[in-house]
Amino acid sequence: MSAYLPGTLADLWNLLEEANTSVMAGGTDFLVRRRAGKCAGRICCLERIPELRGLEAQDGVLEIGAATTLTDLLESSTVAARLPMLHQAIRQLGSPLVRNQATLGGNMCTASPAGDTLPALYALGAQAVLMSRDAERALDVAGFITGPGRTVLEPGEILARVRIPLPDPGAVQHFEKVGRRQALAISVASLAAVLRLDGDAVRDIRLAFGSVSPTVLRCAEAEAWLTGRTLTADNLSHAADLVRAAVRPIGDVRATADYRRQVAGNLLLRLEAYRP
Amino acid sequence: MIIHFCINGRDTELDVRGDERAVDILRERLGLTGTKEGCGTGECGACAILVDGRARLSCLTLAAQLDGRDLTTIEGLGSPEAPHPLQQSFAERGAVQCGFCTPGMVVTAADLLARDPHPGREAIREALSGNLCRCTGYSRILDAVHKVDER
Amino acid sequence: MPHEPYDIGPARPRLDALTKACGTERFSADHYPPDLLWAGARRCGVPHGILRVVDAAAARALPGVHAVLTREDVPGSNRQGIVHKDMPVLCGTKVRHCGDPVALVVAESRDVLRQALALIRVDIEPQQALADMDAALAPDAPLIHEDHGSNVLLSAEIRKGDAEEALAQCDVVLEETFFTPSQAHAFLETENGLARLDDDGVLHLTVSTQAPFRDRFEIGHALGVEPWKIHIHSPFLGGGFGGKDGATVQCLLGLAALRLPGRTIKMWWDREESFLAGYKRHAARMHYRLGAMNDGTLRSVVCRLWYDTGAYAHLGGEIMELGMEHAAGPYRVEHMDCRGFCVYTNNPVAGAFRGFGVAQVSLAFEGMMDRLADRLGRDPLDLRRQNALRRGDRNCAGVTLTSSVGLDECLRRVQGHELWTTRHAWKKGAPTFTRRGVGIAAVFNGMGYGRGLADNAIAKIELTPQGRFVIYSGVPDMGQGNASTFAQIAGEMLCQDASRLEVIQPDTKRSHPSGSASAGRTTYTFGQALIQACELMTSKLVRRAALALMIDEPGGFTLVPGAVRHLPTGKELPLTVMGSMLPRDDRVCVSEYLMPVSREVPETGKDFALGFPHLIFPFAAHLVRVEVDELTGLVRVCDYLAATDGGRVLNPQNFHQQIEGAVAQGLGFALMEGFGTENARITTPDLSTYLIPTSLDLPDTRSMAVETLEHSGPFGMKGVGEEGLNGPLPAVASALSDALGARITRAPVTPAMILELLASRGAQA
Repeated sequence: MSAYLPGTLADLWNLLEEANTSVMAGGTDFLVRRRAGKCAGRICCLERIPELRGLEAQDGVLEIGAATTLTDLLESSTVAARLPMLHQAIRQLGSPLVRNQATLGGNMCTASPAGDTLPALYALGAQAVLMSRDAERALDVAGFITGPGRTVLEPGEILARVRIPLPDPGAVQHFEKVGRRQALAISVASLAAVLRLDGDAVRDIRLAFGSVSPTVLRCAEAEAWLTGRTLTADNLSHAADLVRAAVRPIGDVRATADYRRQVAGNLLLRLEAYRP
Repeated sequence: MIIHFCINGRDTELDVRGDERAVDILRERLGLTGTKEGCGTGECGACAILVDGRARLSCLTLAAQLDGRDLTTIEGLGSPEAPHPLQQSFAERGAVQCGFCTPGMVVTAADLLARDPHPGREAIREALSGNLCRCTGYSRILDAVHKVDER
Repeated sequence: MPHEPYDIGPARPRLDALTKACGTERFSADHYPPDLLWAGARRCGVPHGILRVVDAAAARALPGVHAVLTREDVPGSNRQGIVHKDMPVLCGTKVRHCGDPVALVVAESRDVLRQALALIRVDIEPQQALADMDAALAPDAPLIHEDHGSNVLLSAEIRKGDAEEALAQCDVVLEETFFTPSQAHAFLETENGLARLDDDGVLHLTVSTQAPFRDRFEIGHALGVEPWKIHIHSPFLGGGFGGKDGATVQCLLGLAALRLPGRTIKMWWDREESFLAGYKRHAARMHYRLGAMNDGTLRSVVCRLWYDTGAYAHLGGEIMELGMEHAAGPYRVEHMDCRGFCVYTNNPVAGAFRGFGVAQVSLAFEGMMDRLADRLGRDPLDLRRQNALRRGDRNCAGVTLTSSVGLDECLRRVQGHELWTTRHAWKKGAPTFTRRGVGIAAVFNGMGYGRGLADNAIAKIELTPQGRFVIYSGVPDMGQGNASTFAQIAGEMLCQDASRLEVIQPDTKRSHPSGSASAGRTTYTFGQALIQACELMTSKLVRRAALALMIDEPGGFTLVPGAVRHLPTGKELPLTVMGSMLPRDDRVCVSEYLMPVSREVPETGKDFALGFPHLIFPFAAHLVRVEVDELTGLVRVCDYLAATDGGRVLNPQNFHQQIEGAVAQGLGFALMEGFGTENARITTPDLSTYLIPTSLDLPDTRSMAVETLEHSGPFGMKGVGEEGLNGPLPAVASALSDALGARITRAPVTPAMILELLASRGAQA
């Protein structure tokens, strides 16, 4: 078994041509799965390819290299200032040690229903930019992730960059994660919300729920209902019922389905704090 | 594969297998048993080392990834004869009970202090949130880092 | 640091703290001698069944495999256990829990070991898995241990007076059933050790163990080896908390070493194997009826306790015994009828864990007190103070407390603390979607082995030719700091500073048997023995100095740092000279101490071979302030206060460290640590599913010492190693009841439970 650390994309494409080659970046998911006996075979580590790291804001879009570590993102003033909900989400992912090596791209490719960066990415309308030797394609994160642990990545293809349109600075960004403890906790329910107000009415709102469905759930019914309405407790409570009807949670050792369903709705009630 | 790296200030060359982990080569091949293993899955932080000055989990780092890197383990931060201020502070302030989590704690704290020499106590609490301790309840560990400059 | 006095009283830093902080202190897991072989157990993966086939052929054929052993290869009895020897080293006929080992592989590397383990084919004919105590107690349940004749390891009773009759005379009778979960020790250094059979026929082991001296007997009995031919060294442990009391890797390692003489063999359980095969706290169900008078006087407790001991006994009977002895709490209760049932199931093996049977009943007896306070409209602290045991009282087991009892003072200190006195205002200040609550709990936990097993320690101290004193500890230091405390005791007695004091960790060839590191006993028992040994040393050195200095009588001498000084003349003899002058067997002093036991011979508790009753108890009062989030059910612990009576405090740092650490484990037990099984299979197999508190989950515990004087203890102390863990669960339950107006009866308290309580209270309101 071999491990490779290509320094260029060209080297990477060559390595990926061989069968039984897995790609890893930070290794915090991949090496744990490997230890459990899954993903045997050659390992190709992306951490030394410069094109896959770093972030750049241009024309209202932040472009992030998929192998950028979560700590680098946390230390980015752009992310803190313009994407506070993503900053908040990253801050609660794993632990500082995990974040020092884990990457945004890794969190997306693992595609766990509980992935901590995912609700924010869905709510922000992020795009995944996929590259292979000869081609590049971009698609919404909602199209990139197709199910628990499943993405549309083809053999020979990697997630290279993530594009996030920067929200209007006047927009409200909100993120809350519920875990059984305050660090190193898999989320049992989470909410990422972006909204803009016209006076005290909601002009537009995006609500993305994590850990309560096979993939992150944008609750269109609740979004539609709240549009044009105010953030009163009653309105939010009604929207919360819509959320509870929409989510499809499972029960596991961390939480029951009932708990997840109840809490998914409850998290919406927190938005009353943004009522002007 | 042959890898070259600097460990605690010493240039080293080692022939490693693709799936060897950093924690194993440190403990078993280089005799640096100060770095501990508590879980093998990144959940406890006992295996933390500094790679190019940044703390990371050596149980979730392949030896191959160390090629060309500059490593510091707990032994490289200081020794009983010439302890690092953090090591001294931990020892004096009762931050050490069984001591198995201590190297990981000190390494992670060293990373924090390199970036922020005077962190608040709550910032320290958050910075160490990936290092589990079963003995102390953390308070004296936070104090040891917070008051490292005090004698 | 080295030339400061190392004496009793100040918060002297531990002698081992710096080497641990620098990573140079070698734990058992840190030994990698050359040409090491690795041993690992193939575990059956089935909770209950008849073992039909263990086919090791393919494993044996794998290059790099030195041996694959099965039951046939085990000499001796193939039975290990501390008291009750019911656990096979390797299973031969049946398996009783998923972690039961059926084969042992020895290989040249961990990679080969892993591959070989996977190649072993095991055929098991499954039997009905008894996943809980009710299943095990059902009349048609299969027997887990056929030769035992029942799935009840031990049933017992402790009775005082006529509890049922007294209950009928009470003004108030309250009834409740409580449940506490299994809990994993989750020490950072998992179970491990090394073994080698030498040319001299001696089996040498280095093990992370709390009981090196007893291990020899356990190994000897299991493998048919003479205990005197087993040599064990126990370095500092990376945590124990009870989970390394009793053989873990020892018998398997011994088996491998016997098979491969001259080879050093290492075994180190990874985290998942530690969860699977290591010991756990007994899950418990406790049914209580409490009777009291309108004036708050407690009269009667009738309780039934069930402890799930899993597949093997370990110390199940003793653990249940201690719980039963504490069942009515640290209160004056005239009548008690406590029945206990320690039940075998096919769950992972339950064993010793800090708080040893008492952590369980603490939820119950404190829960009943809270309910009583509520019913009578009484302040919960006042009610407890009214009934708190005092020295000279008989406890609920009928045993007179001749030793120190500081409970009332602990309660008084909590009652006067601002965290309690400002509670109403604090609660009113709860932010949006938050409820606040404040709770308290009284705490105690018997120290030592109790009657029936000699709680004995033998201390040895040596003056070296370099003029230093070496203390040969007989009890391992698993992080509680006893090694340094022993040095402080010696420093105090011999007036020496840290540069002249050294503690050797237990080594069965060099130290003397001193019992296990458990039961909060090590400083007390070994400490007393050490004081005596130091007195012998002082007396000897003084006499030898008198001879050497040609002073005709030994009065007027004293030890000073580095020397023996004759005060009337000012003459001195350096310790280096004394150490060089005396032959070895004249500069070693040994003394022995036996912990006192109760002189009473209660009519009850006859079912217990050992442990009943205890005589010496530390006490405490705890307070916790919590916030509950109404939307998520998450509980945040804002403040924690512990006022603890451990007699006299020998070193404030060591004392408070024990309390802070125990409280951290207790809060985990209360809020997030339920070791899960379903159909006798583990549902929390690793640290991502079994959660212990991180730094972000705990407050800074405020720990206060409430000093009494325990006359029998070294410098007036008694051991507080365990009791701190017993407070957080009842305190949190009490606080949540305060916050939510609803009662907690089970642990861990989960967010889902909180939401349900909020919903049901809302429905009622």
